[in-house]
Amino acid sequence: MNPFSMRREYAWRSIFVTAWLLLFALVILAQIIRIQRSPEAELFRQQAGEYAMVRRIVYPERGKIYDRKGNLLASNEVVYTVGANMPEVVDKEALAREVSAHLGLRYEEVYERLLNPYGLIFVPLAGFVPAEAAQALRERYEQLWRELEEERPFPLSGLEFRPMLQRSYPENDLASNVLGFFNREGRGIFGVEEKYDSLLAGTPLEIWIPQDPNRVAEIPRVPDGASLILTLDRNLQAAAEETLDWALGEYGARNGTIIVMDPRSGEILAMATAPRLNLNEFWNYDKYYRQAYQFNPAIAMQYEPGSVFKVLTMAAALDSGLVTPSTTFYDTGLIVVGGVPIQNWNRRPWGEQTMQGCLQYSLNVCMAWLSTSMGKETFYGYLQRFGIGRPTGIDLAGETSGRLKLPGDQDWYEVDLGTNAFGQGVAVSPIQMMAAVSAIANKGRMVRPHVLRSIVSDGQQVDIAVEPVGMPIRPETARLLSEMLATSLEREASLALVPGYRVAGKTGTAQIPVEGGYSFTETNVSFVGWGPVDDPRFIIYVWLERPSVSIWAGETAAPVFSEMAQRVVVLLDLPPDAIRLQVSTR
Amino acid sequence: MNAFPLLVHAYRQAPWRIQRRWASAFLLGLVGLAMIAALYLDVTARAAILGREIQSLKADIARLRQENATLQTRLAELMSTYSMEQRARALGYRPVKSTEIHYVIVPGYVRPTSVKLVDTVARPATEALPPEYRQSLLEWFVEYFHSTYGGGDGVSLFTGGLP
Repeated sequence: MNPFSMRREYAWRSIFVTAWLLLFALVILAQIIRIQRSPEAELFRQQAGEYAMVRRIVYPERGKIYDRKGNLLASNEVVYTVGANMPEVVDKEALAREVSAHLGLRYEEVYERLLNPYGLIFVPLAGFVPAEAAQALRERYEQLWRELEEERPFPLSGLEFRPMLQRSYPENDLASNVLGFFNREGRGIFGVEEKYDSLLAGTPLEIWIPQDPNRVAEIPRVPDGASLILTLDRNLQAAAEETLDWALGEYGARNGTIIVMDPRSGEILAMATAPRLNLNEFWNYDKYYRQAYQFNPAIAMQYEPGSVFKVLTMAAALDSGLVTPSTTFYDTGLIVVGGVPIQNWNRRPWGEQTMQGCLQYSLNVCMAWLSTSMGKETFYGYLQRFGIGRPTGIDLAGETSGRLKLPGDQDWYEVDLGTNAFGQGVAVSPIQMMAAVSAIANKGRMVRPHVLRSIVSDGQQVDIAVEPVGMPIRPETARLLSEMLATSLEREASLALVPGYRVAGKTGTAQIPVEGGYSFTETNVSFVGWGPVDDPRFIIYVWLERPSVSIWAGETAAPVFSEMAQRVVVLLDLPPDAIRLQVSTR
Repeated sequence: MNAFPLLVHAYRQAPWRIQRRWASAFLLGLVGLAMIAALYLDVTARAAILGREIQSLKADIARLRQENATLQTRLAELMSTYSMEQRARALGYRPVKSTEIHYVIVPGYVRPTSVKLVDTVARPATEALPPEYRQSLLEWFVEYFHSTYGGGDGVSLFTGGLP
């Protein structure tokens, strides 16, 4: 064959092979396009889109709670859910043995869970495991991992630790009645935790995270829940709780409360009650309390206030112009109101008394005369302006409104006008009583008591403004009454006096209502007082339930007030009156 | 007249030369495509690695924030009223009485009235991820094309956003 024809034949063969290859490539290309455009492809693309993203809900860290000086009262700490990733588990017995031994669980229970996972991929074996306990188990896991290097998978394969945040209270039971607690169902219960639950919790964010690392998306930062700065002073709170515990033991009282407030701003500086719950073990709640109000009786309990209420009656009488401090009243020891005789606490007449004397000797007859002389409208009008019969609006969950029967109510009788004047037949809460009397300490102005001082959220701190709620009496009346009460304490050489500081206040010995009347052997005692009289910085309310040592407030609640006030002046850095006046006159 | 066909023949390329030229051009194109593919693969691989690193760093941040919260709690426990009082008593201190205090006038001293707890450095609402860590080469090119020559509504064909 000549070379020319050979070359031609070679060329034809090449073209033939090339054509086939090209055709083959075109067929592949056509098939690719056909598959890409088929209805099934659309379905697969849709499915891929669904699996390309993972939905995740990011929960913000719960906001912290601080006292007024920045000391932490409620925070968060890491705890673990220890569980098994079932597809990786190879030795259920070994896993159950190690987990139960380290976490103090029953082996049978753990093993049972591993045997019957009910279709779960991750089977939780123990929840809310403290970091220390989890660490011990983790170390065991790592030790076995090193020892059994040749054995893969090894016996503890599948063991997982999933971290989460849990509420923690570094001060344990300090101010527990104010703080409340955060339970494991994710709800704030009582106190600040309940009142500001949504603020502390923040806003959870739902996000979709791409599985494809090429499409890594920004995960937006979820702002933490707002942190709260309270008006409480940690040291004052501790002092109040210590004083209350001492008082309960010293006077054999069943229960009690001490509240310390700044009368100018309504800031609660301390609020002590007993018993107190260790908030880190909130599940013991039932062991301490039988009824919800017992968690914080300072705001949730209502009772007959007794003689401290006379302060309000006298304030109304002075402010309405019915009497002046020097107005006299002849006390015969008996007054009949609505057909019911009313007597003094010692059932004796006290003769001619000025209004100063009426307060000093705490005369029921004189007070009933004042209220009846004022008349229903004036007397109850003042009590309502003092906020009696409605909640103060303090920012704590569970406040009671008390009860003030008014003329026209089905259960109001004419005698109530007389008995209400000295604190019987009316129900108040400690915080209500204190808020009302604070108007006298604060030049006639009432402010809403509160525990929240500032909110810290997303890099900003917002301070809570003082909220005035009214002016039930004139400043002049408040000044006069303060002076009368201070003089009363001084003349009586009261156990409530505070060395170096002039204080004003009033005792309250309240008989306890029983079936058909009042108990003669048991009382609730209280004392409300404030100081320094010329420039009040604190007001303290002490209430003790059924003291056994003495039934008189002057012998029980009054010395507790003095003890507390002496600690308050130290912790608030209040110099004695002599030094303070000396400095201010310079 | 007979010289003309001879001249044409003289200037025509040999067929194998033409074929070789085509083959070379094809191979050159193939190499070019391979280079672009390799470059794309490299960028994509690096983006994937960085993406994983970012995910891992995010997890680290979350873990550190949790550890931080725990450490703050531990510190608060160590400085709690009860602990501090125990330590103070162990050192021989006792609570002072109001009659034992000496007050000293300090000119110019202003008592702090409130505590400030805000962060000194404000954190942005979202941690900005530079586009280098979000875009593939193709996405960058499409965006560049759109921004340079306009067209369309500027929406990327390869969005990696959230649904």
